[in-house]
Amino acid sequence: MSEAELKTRKWENTRLSLSVFFANKAAVIGLIIVMAYVVDALLVQFAPQAIGIHSPGTLVENFYNTVPSPPSLAHPFGTTYPGVDLFTSMVKAVRIDLFYSVLVVAIGAAVGSIVGVVSANVGGLMDEIVMRITDVFFSIPYLILALAVGFILGRSLLNMSIALAIVWWPLYARYTRSQTLSTKEFTFVEAAKASGVSRLKIMYKHILPNALPPVFIQISLDLGSIMVIFSTLAFIGFIENASIPELGYLSSLGLNYIQTAPWTVIFPGVAITLFALAVNLVGDGLRDVMDPRRRS
Amino acid sequence: MSYTLQVSDLNVQFYTRRGIYKALNGVDLSLKQGEIFGVAGESGCGKTTLGLTIMGLLPKNAAVTQGEVLLAGNRDLTACLRNAAPSEGEKFNIKQSEEAIKKLNRESCDIRGTKISMVFQDPMTSLNPVLQIGFQIAETIIAHQPRPLAERKIARTKVTHDDLGQIIKLLKEGADEQAINKYAESKNLHGIEDQVLSVWRRNDLGETKKEKIILSLHSEKLGSFEKLVLERVGSGKNIGGWMRIPGINRAAKNVLLKEGYIKATELLSMLEVPNPDKVVRMYPHELSGGMRQRIVIAIALANNPELVILDEPTSALDVTVQAQILELTRHLKHRFNTSFIFISHDLSVLSEVCDRIGIMYAGRIVEIAPIDAVFSRPLHPYTRMLTKAIPTIDGNEIQGIGGTVPDMRNVPIGCSFNPRCPDATEKCRSAKPSMVEVEEGHFVACFPKGD
Amino acid sequence: MRLWVYIIRRLLLLIPTLIGLTFIVFILSHVSGTNVILSEYISPKLTGAARQILVQQLTNQFHLNQPIYIQYFYWLWQILQGNWGVTNTPIFSGQVNTAIALFLPNTLMISIVASILIWVIGVPLGVYSAVNRDSPADHSLRIGSFTLYAMPIYLIGIVLILLVGVYLKILPFSGVVNPVSVSSASWYVNGISYPTHIILIDAIIHGAWGIASDAFLHLILPSVTLALAIVASMIRILRSSMLEVLDQDYIRLARSKGISERSVINLHARKNALLPVITLFGYTVAGLLGGAVVVETIFNYPGIGYWTTQALLVSDIGGIMSAALLFGLILMFANLIVDIVYALVDPRIRY
Repeated sequence: MSEAELKTRKWENTRLSLSVFFANKAAVIGLIIVMAYVVDALLVQFAPQAIGIHSPGTLVENFYNTVPSPPSLAHPFGTTYPGVDLFTSMVKAVRIDLFYSVLVVAIGAAVGSIVGVVSANVGGLMDEIVMRITDVFFSIPYLILALAVGFILGRSLLNMSIALAIVWWPLYARYTRSQTLSTKEFTFVEAAKASGVSRLKIMYKHILPNALPPVFIQISLDLGSIMVIFSTLAFIGFIENASIPELGYLSSLGLNYIQTAPWTVIFPGVAITLFALAVNLVGDGLRDVMDPRRRS
Repeated sequence: MSYTLQVSDLNVQFYTRRGIYKALNGVDLSLKQGEIFGVAGESGCGKTTLGLTIMGLLPKNAAVTQGEVLLAGNRDLTACLRNAAPSEGEKFNIKQSEEAIKKLNRESCDIRGTKISMVFQDPMTSLNPVLQIGFQIAETIIAHQPRPLAERKIARTKVTHDDLGQIIKLLKEGADEQAINKYAESKNLHGIEDQVLSVWRRNDLGETKKEKIILSLHSEKLGSFEKLVLERVGSGKNIGGWMRIPGINRAAKNVLLKEGYIKATELLSMLEVPNPDKVVRMYPHELSGGMRQRIVIAIALANNPELVILDEPTSALDVTVQAQILELTRHLKHRFNTSFIFISHDLSVLSEVCDRIGIMYAGRIVEIAPIDAVFSRPLHPYTRMLTKAIPTIDGNEIQGIGGTVPDMRNVPIGCSFNPRCPDATEKCRSAKPSMVEVEEGHFVACFPKGD
Repeated sequence: MRLWVYIIRRLLLLIPTLIGLTFIVFILSHVSGTNVILSEYISPKLTGAARQILVQQLTNQFHLNQPIYIQYFYWLWQILQGNWGVTNTPIFSGQVNTAIALFLPNTLMISIVASILIWVIGVPLGVYSAVNRDSPADHSLRIGSFTLYAMPIYLIGIVLILLVGVYLKILPFSGVVNPVSVSSASWYVNGISYPTHIILIDAIIHGAWGIASDAFLHLILPSVTLALAIVASMIRILRSSMLEVLDQDYIRLARSKGISERSVINLHARKNALLPVITLFGYTVAGLLGGAVVVETIFNYPGIGYWTTQALLVSDIGGIMSAALLFGLILMFANLIVDIVYALVDPRIRY
């Protein structure tokens, strides 16, 4: 096939992928929502003054009036204990949550994928050992590890992320390993090997492009799950000081006021749920694109 | 002449995101009783689709746009699917198709597994990995013919040593199946003849051993619960009434299942599976491909169907096993007068067993002929090229067929073979040839050859 | 026979895993040095000579002057004897054993009830959803489970509390049982009920139906919250697994046998579809433990999770170590059971 034909083939493929994705209306809505969150985070990070936020890293407490008040014009989402405007706090918190979730998934996926691909390619005893190690890590529930890390290193959001990343990378290692193994079986890899291409090049040019796409789907789904877990841990108390804006922590602030001021707990929770939902919809849409069966 | 199966002008399409694939474009076929009809062609010509359509096992993105499949003259197997197919210009409605398939499944329960059955291509995936072999065979027997099962067991309780001795005497004198049946009927031992005959017909045992086994088939004891279940089923009724209570239902089914396992063992020994009594308790992954295929065949034959469709039954197996299975097919045809549709891409395999062959190309049957005529007097250019492409032992030069199979989304206008045909004429490129009988029993769809 | 061999092999594999777990817990807790052990038993207010004497005593008792690997064995010996140390948390201070006896039964109770709910609700819904693909019921199930899956567990709990406890007022949402009602029960001493330590069961044993029903009502909301949090992912997995199974060749063969559709689904398809779900049950238990922590906090349900959280917040070494060990043990046994059940269902792995 000539260069031009290859290009048109690729373009046709991309067009098909895009049309499949956008045919899934739910996925499009999800994408819009996720974009909204990302924009929020970016704004708070780089131009907080523009949207009227003056201290993006901390909650602004108003100790004179600690009792939560219901939504009103001055406070669109109401206030929570101790006198914190819920809306601005949530806007600030999205940045923190998004950042740490991306951090966890990025580390976990990067480390795990590399380990998985390399291990599958090297094979043999090395592969076996790596698999046993991932088994051990796999069976550690994130809670215990979070406990351990929290105890040794101290309770902070960063440490929590480390703990979660430690628990999460085996998933990617396993996933990419099985993908690599099945791609290795494909004859075109054999053909490349037979024509004398170096192992590293095979890994890079042939195996990676085939093994990676499903990993992206997994990443997008994990972003949601991690944020839910992250905020749940913060809800329990994994936070270094009492003024960090974080969605789970915000919910916990209102715990004592559930009966009188339910919005204090619910609104931050809904923010998390919405993000997880949206990201899952996007992941589903991606899956539609990548899975050859669903394409037809 | 009564035809077991008649296919007229069958058109089947598959709807995908990449386009509409016209898998069958007007297939005509008449199957006589007791014949082995081969369907040959390259990959993608629609042979498997034909088999699936007859069984009604098409996926939900397929539609029968035209044509009918008649079983034994009066039962239209494709009515449901046809009604659900979109008419000209309409968009394909997958939900409608799903509904039609569900309806078809419900309606077909009384013919599938008992009048028609199918053996699929890949024995490695055809069997359920978590169920025992014996169960998978016995299940189909119990579903369709539970009564003979019950009768067998009841007969074993009633028969005496002397009766069995008498039957053996008859067999040694050369009595045939009918005579044994009559004897059993006269002594009110209906159900014993099946068991005796299956032991008698085994090839792996000596006569004394067989006698011993037959003589041990008596004085079986029954628990009272077993008796209740068997008598009820034996008189033709279903397990119903108070026996429907969950725990009891399971126990009642197990009574039948035990006998089903014994019948399954007999079936397997008929198919020359070694150690059948052990095999019935095994799981599919413990057996080789050849064994698994025999089991699938056993399931297909368990209820003596009128028609068995074999879809490339030997393609996934090695040659020695292939030979065994072909031998088996011949044997079964002679014994039970079952009609077979044998689908294969391998003409040499078909030449071993078939009475007639139909050559398929691009969704149509282009030639039908008795087996020797196909090889000695192939008429259609495609058939000729196929026969020349078979490697033979005298080392003749093999000639391939130029070009590729057409994209089934855009079937060529006129005769679908015309782009590759060395004898194509103007007429071939504009009109579709219909089947013409050139000599006795030899049909061809080709303008140059058919006139 | 193969099955027994598999089970025995699996049990034997348990021993090195146990050793590994205890070793890791031990090492982790000693990472910050042996002072933590001392701090477990010594109040920080104690100073001077008295402190020195106590330090000396403890050093001898726990062999703290020996190398670390020797200490491990002494510690392990203590553990095996049932002496897990001391905990100092706001809700409970004392021997860890007592703490476990006090808290574990409650957690077990809601976990078990939640598990039953998950299976009883999850399996039929998952199968139904796959079989009736794209029907309105399937769509609503998918949306429902999608949303549940995205909700953090505390939100599910809060919503339930608000709906059922506050607005509809039909279920209690705090504590294990109404403290007034048990104050006169002879079999309930200091928060621990006898003989099984589970209030609900003991109440039934002793015929105290009022207490039993009260305990039962208190049980409902926490268990339902836990169940809802987990059943969402189970339905999704079961649905996709079932859809995959329904596409398989052997299902097509089953249909070609002419057996009823019901048999095809329930007999042939379901067993195969459940296999990945069973594998994931190990993670379900992990999720239950993690969820229990949150649920117990919201519902003031004094269980292991609640105690662990408190231990963490006040850096109580005895509590944290014991909790980690306990969770690890529970998970190991859960995985063992999962493996055995899986071998029962799938004959292919019994080699």
